[in-house]
Amino acid sequence: MGYDWDFGIVFRDFDLLMLGLVNTLKVTGLALLFGVPLGLLLALLRLYGVWIVRVPVGIVIEFLRSTPPIAQLFWFFFALPILIGVEIDPFRASVLTFSLQSSAFFAEVFRGGIISIDRGQWEAAKAIGMDRNRTLRRIILPQAVKRMIPAFLERAIELMKTTTLVSTISYADVLYQANSIAQSTYRSLEVFTVAAGIYFVVIFGCSLGVRQLERHLARSGETTAH
Amino acid sequence: MEYTWDFSAVLANRQLLLLGVRNTVVLGLVCLVTGLFFGLFVGAARYSRNPVFHWPATAFVEVFRNTPVLVQIVWFFFAFPIISPFEINAFTAAALGLSLNTTAFCSEIYRAGIQSIDRGQWEAAKALGMDYSRQMRRIILPQAIRRMIPAFMNRAVELMKMTSLASVIAYGELMHQAKTISTIEFNPIEMYTAVALIFFALIYPVAVLVQRLESRFRART
Repeated sequence: MGYDWDFGIVFRDFDLLMLGLVNTLKVTGLALLFGVPLGLLLALLRLYGVWIVRVPVGIVIEFLRSTPPIAQLFWFFFALPILIGVEIDPFRASVLTFSLQSSAFFAEVFRGGIISIDRGQWEAAKAIGMDRNRTLRRIILPQAVKRMIPAFLERAIELMKTTTLVSTISYADVLYQANSIAQSTYRSLEVFTVAAGIYFVVIFGCSLGVRQLERHLARSGETTAH
Repeated sequence: MEYTWDFSAVLANRQLLLLGVRNTVVLGLVCLVTGLFFGLFVGAARYSRNPVFHWPATAFVEVFRNTPVLVQIVWFFFAFPIISPFEINAFTAAALGLSLNTTAFCSEIYRAGIQSIDRGQWEAAKALGMDYSRQMRRIILPQAIRRMIPAFMNRAVELMKMTSLASVIAYGELMHQAKTISTIEFNPIEMYTAVALIFFALIYPVAVLVQRLESRFRART
């Protein structure tokens, strides 16, 4: 078992891995940017839409939550371009898939937060003459959003982990870069270990931040995290 | 632009797809059972006040919870064989990655479940003269496990979805079979649509059951 570890080779190509990290964060960031508002919209449609909207929205959410993200990604990358006759590059397919996929999960976070608000808040808002839209905007959402923060950030971290799938359609994220470095240096043990290390540092850092925030929110009695 | 859907090639390859479903279920079950089993010990070690148990268990859990599962699978397939004392094929690599991942997540469920039991239960069991392992086995776990069931089933749902990642290292589960068939038959649209539907049919019933159990549990407390 006398294996000679040599991390020097990996660190010579460290800038490639960092470039991969930038790409990972780019996909994650864009998916959040599109996924969160879309999630809110889906949640509101599922909660307050007429049944002809509510039911299909519910089905879409459940479908996106109950199928593997890699199946969705392959569908958007390999199937959709043929269907609509438009070329879709790996980057666009990734952003599209993860925006939709995460929006389904964010919708459930929003929905959970909104229904956790006491009925009395609705009634009180109605009593002072607010209609439903205004109640939602001024009374319910501000309280719900505060409660949702931990669940929300946990989803964002999950999203970042899920984006590693983009390497399978050759978008140059950390894992993809690691794979190409491994192929040119034959140092797969070191390369993949360093790649895992990079993910760990970034994701664990975020997790610690979330936990800190959770503790802070729990102290002020404003959280649904359990 | 009008595309004519044609599922005949999907149906013609149903044997291959069924084999894929079988391999998906086998991989999922193996990882679920090992994860549930070892998760209990890792959870107990995390709960322990002895630093010799506590810190390694904590490090293990944090590493597996805070790295992407695909990276874990790829690591076990491409990196681990170099130092591994035994032969690694696609199945063992995927099973190792997914089992350890599930172990880490399950250990947290055990820990949270055990911590949710009122301290008075421990004290009452101690007052009856039970030692630690008996308190745990006879009093705490039976109550805690009931509370953990929805969370475990949630893990099973997540795990089923994660098994599709084994396709990346060419283990012949459903996703991989679909990939192979679609390159032979040139039918990515029908094939990937069918695969998404099959996964949905496998996973959604469990997801619904979890929701039911969770709302029943909430109604009771």
